[in-house]
Amino acid sequence: MQKTADVAIIGGGISGLSIAFNLAQAGVKNIVVLEKNFLGNGATGRCGAGIRMQWGTELNCLLSKYSCEFFEQAQELFHNNIDIEFEQGGYLIGAGTDEEVEQFKRNVKLQNDLGIESVFLSPEEAGEIMPHLDITKIKAATFCHRDGHLNPFRTTEAYSEAARSLGVSIYEYTEVQDILLDGDKLKGVRTDKGDISAPLVVNAAGGYSKLIADMAGVDLPVYSQRHQIMVTEPVEAMQDPMFMGFSLNIYIQQVPHGSFIMGRSDDSEPTDLRLTSSWQFLEKMSETCTTLMPRLGQLKVVRQWAGLYNMTADAQPIYDEAPELPGFYHAAGFSGHGFMLAPVTGHVMSRKIMGEKADIDVSCLNVSRFKDGGLLPTESSVV
Amino acid sequence: MNSNRILEHPILEFSEGSDIPFSFDGKELVGKSGDTIASALHAAGVRVLGHHFKTGHARGFYCAIGNCSSCLMIVNGVPNVRVCVEPLKAGMVVNSQNDRGVLP
Repeated sequence: MQKTADVAIIGGGISGLSIAFNLAQAGVKNIVVLEKNFLGNGATGRCGAGIRMQWGTELNCLLSKYSCEFFEQAQELFHNNIDIEFEQGGYLIGAGTDEEVEQFKRNVKLQNDLGIESVFLSPEEAGEIMPHLDITKIKAATFCHRDGHLNPFRTTEAYSEAARSLGVSIYEYTEVQDILLDGDKLKGVRTDKGDISAPLVVNAAGGYSKLIADMAGVDLPVYSQRHQIMVTEPVEAMQDPMFMGFSLNIYIQQVPHGSFIMGRSDDSEPTDLRLTSSWQFLEKMSETCTTLMPRLGQLKVVRQWAGLYNMTADAQPIYDEAPELPGFYHAAGFSGHGFMLAPVTGHVMSRKIMGEKADIDVSCLNVSRFKDGGLLPTESSVV
Repeated sequence: MNSNRILEHPILEFSEGSDIPFSFDGKELVGKSGDTIASALHAAGVRVLGHHFKTGHARGFYCAIGNCSSCLMIVNGVPNVRVCVEPLKAGMVVNSQNDRGVLP
């Protein structure tokens, strides 16, 4: 393994790979990505892989719009032939409460002002888009036809192949065990395969980002929480959009293969990095799903799994250089949306690392906001 | 009709069951009580239970214990039924499945 690097990126998930790709594209040489397992083994390969521009805060709308537009042109931008299966069947978001109806009206106004073509729908109009939805269970809905979902494994491969072809070295099964310091200055990283000295280190370790920050002795106010997903047997295509609801507590999509993939949140989920599956999830998820979509009750569940949301107090990411340790960068705390934000993560982090201005000002996503009482308005459009 | 049945087995005993009528792709067939759908079809000489949704390759009786999904068929309108472990009932309408299945 090489002994030196200009930039060492910790984490071979979609965020780390996107940062590597963007840096390499901008001409940075000698970049290494260090992944303790195989690429995408963390939250990247475990996520729902939904891509949407329908958010409740301006910044999230702008970040996700950048990402969605990237995925639309991914094939040309990556210069490879890997099909990421970006299916733009839209996102149909159901309102379950009167408060949500009002919030959704404001959201659509905000989204439209930012150039996001979402619409506010009656339950009947939502039912035309998704005939198997029990429309008596929703009070209204919003829809954006350019939202969709893609294949996280193909996308990981597309990013990693594009990064490799630009000269990035990717080391799988290489675990970072320590951050090397020289006094209070950053020196590099220690892995189980040897030391790499690097003046710039990026913490893109997702669910494990706090462990990496601890190695560096820097504060990263995030925690990880288990989230579960289950998948059914495949059937012929019957649902184009991703359906989601916040108070309804569900997201559900039919992937190109024909399976339905669905998840929900639960405050009682553990925060100790465990990745086990629970029968409670299986039961509650089935109930949530079949209450809204009774026809899907005929489907057999074939598998369930878990991944980690890396949470912050305002459910928005941290894009920053650690104030205590110049050269050490965080791209963490994605709070369940790291996959869809990956293109913009790569863009803003690469510009930050190179000391250049990014297309979107993300200075408010700094790590100090949690101390200074500068929390952002909490995004309500999350599951 | 019963030429494909196992009549003698070193461990198991098979009692002579009563007739159970059912249909397969529009043809009237007769199985025996105690049959699964797949065993009744096998006894009737049926070897192709459906075709793979993508490749079109013939699918048949394979694991016989409900694991492999090779024997998925449409039973009484419900797709993706593992006929190797589904007990045969009188009047069942069994059809070959050649797609991923359409939910009723």
